[in-house]
Amino acid sequence: MKFFIGNLPIYFPYDKIYPEQYSYMVDLKKAIDAGGHCLLEMPSGTGKTVSLLSLIVAIQANYKEKRKLIYCSRTVPEIEKALAELRNLIEYRTKCGEKDEYLGIGLTSRKNLCINSSVNQEKWGKVVDARCRNLTASWIREKSKLYSPGEVPLCNFYEKMENDNERQRMLIPDGVYTLEELREYGKEQGHCPYYMARRTIPFANAVIYSYHYLLDPKVAELVSKELSKDCIVVFDEAHNIDNVCIESLSIDITKPNLDASAKSIAKLRDVIEDIKKKDSQRLRDEYDKLVEGLMAASQERDEDVYLSNPILPEDLSHEAVPGNIRQAEHFVAFLRRFVEYLKTRMRAQQVVAESPMSFLQNCREVTLIERQPLRFCSQRLTSLVRTLELSDLNDYYALHKVAAFATLVATYEAGFMLILEPFENDTIPNPIFHYACLDASIAIKPIFRRFKTVVITSGTLSPLDMYPKILNFQAAVQESYSMTLTRNCFLPLVVTRGSDQVAISSKFEVRNDPAVVRNFGQILVEFSKIVPDGIVAFFPSYLYMESIVAMWNDMGILNEAWKHKLIFVETPDAAETSLALENYRKACDNGRGAILLSVARGKVSEGIDFDHNYGRAVIMFGVPYQYTESRILKARLEFLRENYRIRESDFLTFDAMRHAAQCVGRVLRGKTDYGLMIFSDKRFARADKRNKLPRWLNQFITDACTNLSTDMALVTAKKFLRTMAQPFERDQLGVWSVEDVERQERSNVGVGGRAAQFN
Amino acid sequence: MTKIINSNEELIDIDDEAQNANQQIGYAWEEEYKRSWDVLQEDEDGGLKHTVEHLQSRKRKRLERDTSIIKRGIIRHMFLIIDLSEAMLEKDLRPSRLDLTLSYAEQFILEFFDQNPISQLGVIVSKSGVAEKLMGLTGNPMDNINVLKKKNIDTDGEPSLQNALEMARSSLIHVPAHGSREILIIMGSLTSCDPGDINETIDNLVSENIRVSIVGLAAEVQICKLMCKKTKGTYGVVLNEAHFKDLLFEIIPPPPVSIVKSKSELVVMGFPRGVNESMPSLCAWYDYACIYRNAVKGISNL
Repeated sequence: MKFFIGNLPIYFPYDKIYPEQYSYMVDLKKAIDAGGHCLLEMPSGTGKTVSLLSLIVAIQANYKEKRKLIYCSRTVPEIEKALAELRNLIEYRTKCGEKDEYLGIGLTSRKNLCINSSVNQEKWGKVVDARCRNLTASWIREKSKLYSPGEVPLCNFYEKMENDNERQRMLIPDGVYTLEELREYGKEQGHCPYYMARRTIPFANAVIYSYHYLLDPKVAELVSKELSKDCIVVFDEAHNIDNVCIESLSIDITKPNLDASAKSIAKLRDVIEDIKKKDSQRLRDEYDKLVEGLMAASQERDEDVYLSNPILPEDLSHEAVPGNIRQAEHFVAFLRRFVEYLKTRMRAQQVVAESPMSFLQNCREVTLIERQPLRFCSQRLTSLVRTLELSDLNDYYALHKVAAFATLVATYEAGFMLILEPFENDTIPNPIFHYACLDASIAIKPIFRRFKTVVITSGTLSPLDMYPKILNFQAAVQESYSMTLTRNCFLPLVVTRGSDQVAISSKFEVRNDPAVVRNFGQILVEFSKIVPDGIVAFFPSYLYMESIVAMWNDMGILNEAWKHKLIFVETPDAAETSLALENYRKACDNGRGAILLSVARGKVSEGIDFDHNYGRAVIMFGVPYQYTESRILKARLEFLRENYRIRESDFLTFDAMRHAAQCVGRVLRGKTDYGLMIFSDKRFARADKRNKLPRWLNQFITDACTNLSTDMALVTAKKFLRTMAQPFERDQLGVWSVEDVERQERSNVGVGGRAAQFN
Repeated sequence: MTKIINSNEELIDIDDEAQNANQQIGYAWEEEYKRSWDVLQEDEDGGLKHTVEHLQSRKRKRLERDTSIIKRGIIRHMFLIIDLSEAMLEKDLRPSRLDLTLSYAEQFILEFFDQNPISQLGVIVSKSGVAEKLMGLTGNPMDNINVLKKKNIDTDGEPSLQNALEMARSSLIHVPAHGSREILIIMGSLTSCDPGDINETIDNLVSENIRVSIVGLAAEVQICKLMCKKTKGTYGVVLNEAHFKDLLFEIIPPPPVSIVKSKSELVVMGFPRGVNESMPSLCAWYDYACIYRNAVKGISNL
């Protein structure tokens, strides 16, 4: 259908539109016209992506300035989905007679895109990266020219692309490519899809990739450096964006890391000695270059840089590398001293928390290492690695980590904290040095500053005023949408006590009380009797899950549940979990039915959908609070209180509720789907918890189902499941056709005056 | 300034009870009554016509469907599979799922032979992972009813869809092509304990033109839905006792036959015909005798 918002003609690839999709577009347009950031909450599975793309593509096609769309999503399947949606839209526009020249491209890691059969067999992303570099690094390609062909292995796809590239300007024909199609195209042309995608980014109209390509300074500098100011940046599924920001600037150093670095340093020294004898000119050249401050050998870096600077571009100082680390051997000695210093610090027997400043001061007193050279550590190491033409960069991973640590410590003062924990669980000696970023706004600041419009959107962003606070930005539009449903296709139930009226809670004091555990078990067993196919249960943590499952086993509750459904458990091990998931799905498909026990912050709760029969019910056992004894969390809470005036309990509740909403949202991935959402903890019944849930969820929590005992919940659930099983008559209630949209548009114009003209 | 974190520092109280102490949260019994007669909405003239019409619409829809002119296959071969798992002991349908099922099954059998006089019906039950054939295909309603009336019908364990289907299939394979092959399952359990891949069984059923219809007593199970869709049967989940009967009796009118598929050959029935076999055989008469007997029974039922 085609309709107008203001003067903007919008093509929407479906015949009908939900009112919330329409208002989502209106608000988004408002934000883009105003040139501000916006925060929009709309449940996923209701066509959020398509509304967003329809509007932005319309803006791209009709506004004079050609703005590029940068769409960041979280996981590879989500990227794939967004690309498919975009292609669908462009096809629809073409069918309607719009002649867009549109190039949309997705980017993901080498592991997912590589088509070189000798490389893409590798399991680990890091290994694939390293192998790829061994075939494509510039010095290796230089070297191969000296030898006869075939003697130095190269990547055929990369070479062919380079050759074609020299002859003519390499461009992919217009169109939208999903990742799979990109691979296909690469195979057809004999070009490397990964580098093809990376080089196309400057020309593409829409780029869809993962958060890290924009937020993580190590990667962002390589990939996203040349994006212009007027790009429209979208973060989809952004409820976890603050954690991504924090992770991108945090580093943990362990004892094995230090040992490996010490080894790498020794190796580096040998290589330097070796080269000194054979080819001292090369080291001298590097030295000269450093003196001139000509670090950026920009055209080489594209392929070679492996772990670039972890600090944000604007914090990079433009001075030359300080004198005392310009000589290769001096630098290596410097690194060794620093690693030794860290080792001595790790011998401490107490937990230490200190600011970066005090760390630096202590470091200077003990080792005479100044702040300035530390700051250039990472940069200098990269340069050295390039000069020495090292292959097998994977071996130097630990050393790079230490160098990145040094650079970060010396660059940032506020918003960071160094925490040394000598023991794991207070008993096992396993010293870890956490360099923890406490302020999520640091990593995202350059993005808000550089781009005019940043859209943050997700299914769960409530309460909306929290995100602008912790990310420190001003939102021009912030809105949460309710959900129009043709039938009440999900039923939230808050179970506060068991059938024996004992209040249930995962509160620390009562969480291991047998009565509570038994009642939790009772909920699982009873619901496994009445819910068909799949049930997903979420616990606040692995530790708690383990203890509860052990107790259930002793009480015979597992045996009881086994009669009705198979039981699968998520573990921290990814391979194990994916195996469990696969079998879980199988059991849901063939009618046996299954229960998946998982953890609210685990992999399952974030990236995996349990649509239709894979999740007819989701049970939250307890409120998924973070582990409040964690020192990093305590430091962050203190920071938030002091700097952003957010109370500890507010933040913790906010964080718990967004995870809870995220977990229960897993079962509902579309309007034809249905599912039960069971919150079993007495604390969920409180208003302060409930009003932190997203609006679309809250609108269906009625008073009648907020304070139930298990048996009452069962009766309601049974009735709900029966009703939902009835044939679904699609009487498109509450869905708008073109006429409805036009009527709405006219009334908008009538109230608000003429919408903004094109610029 | 190095700060040593004291491990027994005050815990952060995430569970601020006092904060909400004065907040009233109502109990379910303190809430307003939900009155069932509120469902009846009067229209502007104070009449109830609209509501009543709405309530009756479904019933009428079923009747309307019956009047259209389509070719129906009245020679049916059907197996009734009854789930006898523990889930059938639930009392959410009065008096219990099992009792209601058995009494409806009886009515169903009578009504079935009433409307499809020359058809055949058999009964299979499934419990604790195995299937048991109580009665093979027969044209006599009393045979079927009698096996269901026997007192030894008790419940145990989980049902096995696959075993029951395979058992029904092995009997239905041999029925002549002019009759329809059908399976009706009354399923109270939400799980099925199968020895192999049920999808293979479904594919076999599809290739042999066996139609599977299921009446679920609890909730929608994906595999049942899929099976009914693939085999072109119907799948319904009961809302209450009356709806259960509706769903069950929807199966009784003879199903339409697609003209392309059915070989419209004439079926010999009523009078035995002498066949001259050149070779001596064990039972050259059997087939015709069977049809004859059934036909006679059918007529007597009318």
